Amino acid sequence: MKKRIGKLNLVSGNRKVFLLQAVAILLFMILSTSSPGAGEEVGPAYALVNCKIFPVSGPPIEKGTIIIRDGLIEALGYAEKIKIPEDAEIIEAGGLTAYPGLISAHTNLFLEIKQQEQPQTPDEFLSSFSQPSEPQEFPDLQIFKELKPKKQTLESWHKIGVTTVVTAPGRGIFQGQSVVLNLNSDQPNQMVLKQPWALHINFTTERGIYPSSLMGTVAFIRQKFYDTLHYDLHKKKYLSSPAFLKRPEYDPFLEALIPFVVDKKPVVFQCNNQEDIKRALRLIEEFKLKGVLTGCNEAWRVANHLKRAGVPLLVTVDFRPPTASIYSQQGEALRKKAEAEVFPANAARLQKENITFALTGFGLSESSFRKNILAAIKAGLSPEAALKALTVEPARILGLERQLGTLEMGKIANLILTRGDLFDEKTKVIKVLVDGILFNYEEKGQ
Amino acid sequence: MKVVISRTIFFMIFVLALLAPESYLLAAGNLLIKNATILPVSGPPIPGGDVLIIDGIIKQIGKNLSAPAGARVIEASGKYLIPGIIDTHTHLALSGTNEGTEAITPEVRMADVINADDPAIFTALTGGVTMVHTMHGSANVIGGVNVVLKLKWGQPSEKLVVKEAFPTLKFALGENVKQSNRALLPGRPQRYPATRMGANAIIRRELLRAKDYMTQWERYEKLKNSKNPPPNLLPPRKDLRLETLADLLRGKLYARAHAYVATEMVEFLRLAKEFGFKVAALDHAWEAYKITDELLAAGVGISVFIDNWAYKMEAAEGIAYNAAYCTRRGILVSINSDSSERVRRLFNEAGKAVKYGLTQDEALKMITINAARQLGVDHLVGSIEVGKQADLALFDQHPMSAYTRCEMTIIEGDVYFDRQQILKNREEAAARKGGN
Repeated sequence: MKKRIGKLNLVSGNRKVFLLQAVAILLFMILSTSSPGAGEEVGPAYALVNCKIFPVSGPPIEKGTIIIRDGLIEALGYAEKIKIPEDAEIIEAGGLTAYPGLISAHTNLFLEIKQQEQPQTPDEFLSSFSQPSEPQEFPDLQIFKELKPKKQTLESWHKIGVTTVVTAPGRGIFQGQSVVLNLNSDQPNQMVLKQPWALHINFTTERGIYPSSLMGTVAFIRQKFYDTLHYDLHKKKYLSSPAFLKRPEYDPFLEALIPFVVDKKPVVFQCNNQEDIKRALRLIEEFKLKGVLTGCNEAWRVANHLKRAGVPLLVTVDFRPPTASIYSQQGEALRKKAEAEVFPANAARLQKENITFALTGFGLSESSFRKNILAAIKAGLSPEAALKALTVEPARILGLERQLGTLEMGKIANLILTRGDLFDEKTKVIKVLVDGILFNYEEKGQ
Repeated sequence: MKVVISRTIFFMIFVLALLAPESYLLAAGNLLIKNATILPVSGPPIPGGDVLIIDGIIKQIGKNLSAPAGARVIEASGKYLIPGIIDTHTHLALSGTNEGTEAITPEVRMADVINADDPAIFTALTGGVTMVHTMHGSANVIGGVNVVLKLKWGQPSEKLVVKEAFPTLKFALGENVKQSNRALLPGRPQRYPATRMGANAIIRRELLRAKDYMTQWERYEKLKNSKNPPPNLLPPRKDLRLETLADLLRGKLYARAHAYVATEMVEFLRLAKEFGFKVAALDHAWEAYKITDELLAAGVGISVFIDNWAYKMEAAEGIAYNAAYCTRRGILVSINSDSSERVRRLFNEAGKAVKYGLTQDEALKMITINAARQLGVDHLVGSIEVGKQADLALFDQHPMSAYTRCEMTIIEGDVYFDRQQILKNREEAAARKGGN
């Protein structure tokens, strides 16, 4: 009560003005609900009432209340057990279902992908061949610095229920360092949950320079890891006793790798086919890394390896068979068949093997992401497992399980309200709260 | 009790056999091949012979053998049973061939890029091939560490690797590595080495570096284990490139060198002698017939094509009698495919050697036991002998005949290719399609 008055005083200091403001806000809200995506409100406190709640951390609550204050979940539970604070703005959510905001732990959101310049004249063409290429290695790249968030993108991801993403770099073998973002605004600083999160590595090649082959790439990665260990040892020895020890030559490449190779921050390996998974697992084992595998749409084929390794998985619902795969090697008809029938069952097969994983929309547009999640469920993945794979599992892999992934008291208020079951084809996301910031997406006529 | 159990199992297997249209469901690795003309390679042909395989191993060779419960029986009368064909120089089942950007790349390992999904594995099986030495390419002087695979089509990559085989390091000499057949682009420098002298010199240079590297580590180990090691003692940098070359010098790796002309082969053998490394075989070796004394003195065999010489300058003095002549001189000769297509008709390639003077048996040896010896696996495969792994191929005519065809390919007692079965499946699929 005291707090409320204090805040009111800050805003107006006058009761009449406050009432007028309240009416204005209400009017604005009514208006905003009629134009989808147009309005967003920062409220100090909200009470979502009469909604069904899927907390993920426990059984569903048929009719519940969620109290949100300062971007956090203050309380939630059965309607009769939760007292609504007087200052909370009540949001009637009857007929809606609340879920934790979904997490896609691998995207390239908000990045402007630079198109490679194509040679135009014969001279340019010739020089593009005769000039040795520049190495495309970016171990020290903070992708956070490249973010160009756009409201439109934000809203289109909200509409499929996603409130948190990992934005990862996408060029080179050592691609750089990713960031975990809450989709709460277009202000990068405000969005950050973890910066940096992980080092991303892809089994690709350089063009025209070393390493130009896959086996060269594996050797290149191993050598860099060994060099990092040696560089770090040298630095430490030099710090403790510099007498009669030549100082190590400063190496920005290896400096960037120290947190990941020595201090065991997460290293994410892009696994485009089943053999990539094995390659990554061998590297994780050899260098005792805190490894994470992403991509992995052929993961079911190496289930025994994954079980043994217990390495966290970010499984994309991109069902296109990898080029090296047998499913791509027997003609276009069989490739299409595999894309429609075999690859959608990847997640279901992993579930059957008791392998936990997070689902991502890596390589997909937001609409395909949602469509393919539904396809994965149709192919046998249980909706409960799908929900976990989009909430609590990615939160755990990101080391944010105390803040995100379930609807629990004290956690970040990332939640979505849908009309209908989340995994029903016709279901629409009606309201989204990210860090307690409300976004309305109610359809016209509702 | 035991009798009851075995009877129950027998009954269950019997029921299974009735249920299954093919006997594929029966215990894997157990086979009885009956009434074949066996060409064991290690001895004279056995007409009308049986081979019994238990758990993937050849248990018995003889006549009128009976199959134990659960073993599949293959009637092979009129057919020829030979050891599975071994190709000692291919590049199949790999997601990459050359790390050709630098002259020296021994740090790369082909075992890192095995692709068990490569359809070339099946192509090879249709020609009776059961094992391949799949290698780094010849774009640079020192390529990478090769790998030997069994062509267990449909099995995961790690199950293909033959760990018992010699670990080999690919070297290449001559035109490919000096890039003499490449158009030089303006502005881009010619890669060193550009001559045969250069290729020889760079190998010596790198091996000397490797020796130095070994000395550095020895010195470090000595200091580390001394009574009062210096407080700031730092180990040398682990260099994967030199580490591999050090393994060659330590005798843990064998060299395989792509070489064409007599001089470069002799030079390479001299290098091997100078540095004391082992050479498993020389590959292609078109001019081997000129240096048989040197090869015999070094105890080094060759892995060659049969009769397609003169496709480039350094192959100009190749002769179709190379394999036959070198065999007669006592050199260990194998015939390789170096191709995901030719691999399916390697038996035809070997068969041509009969025209150039070898017996059928000698020709067959070049793609079986000789190849196994070059890969260091002749104690496991390469001939049909009791105790060896049951890697076998069944041909409808003598395998060195021009009219022969591979009917069945078996690895460790499992049938990986069955021509009749595939034809049947194909007909059924066509019938289903027609019915729609």
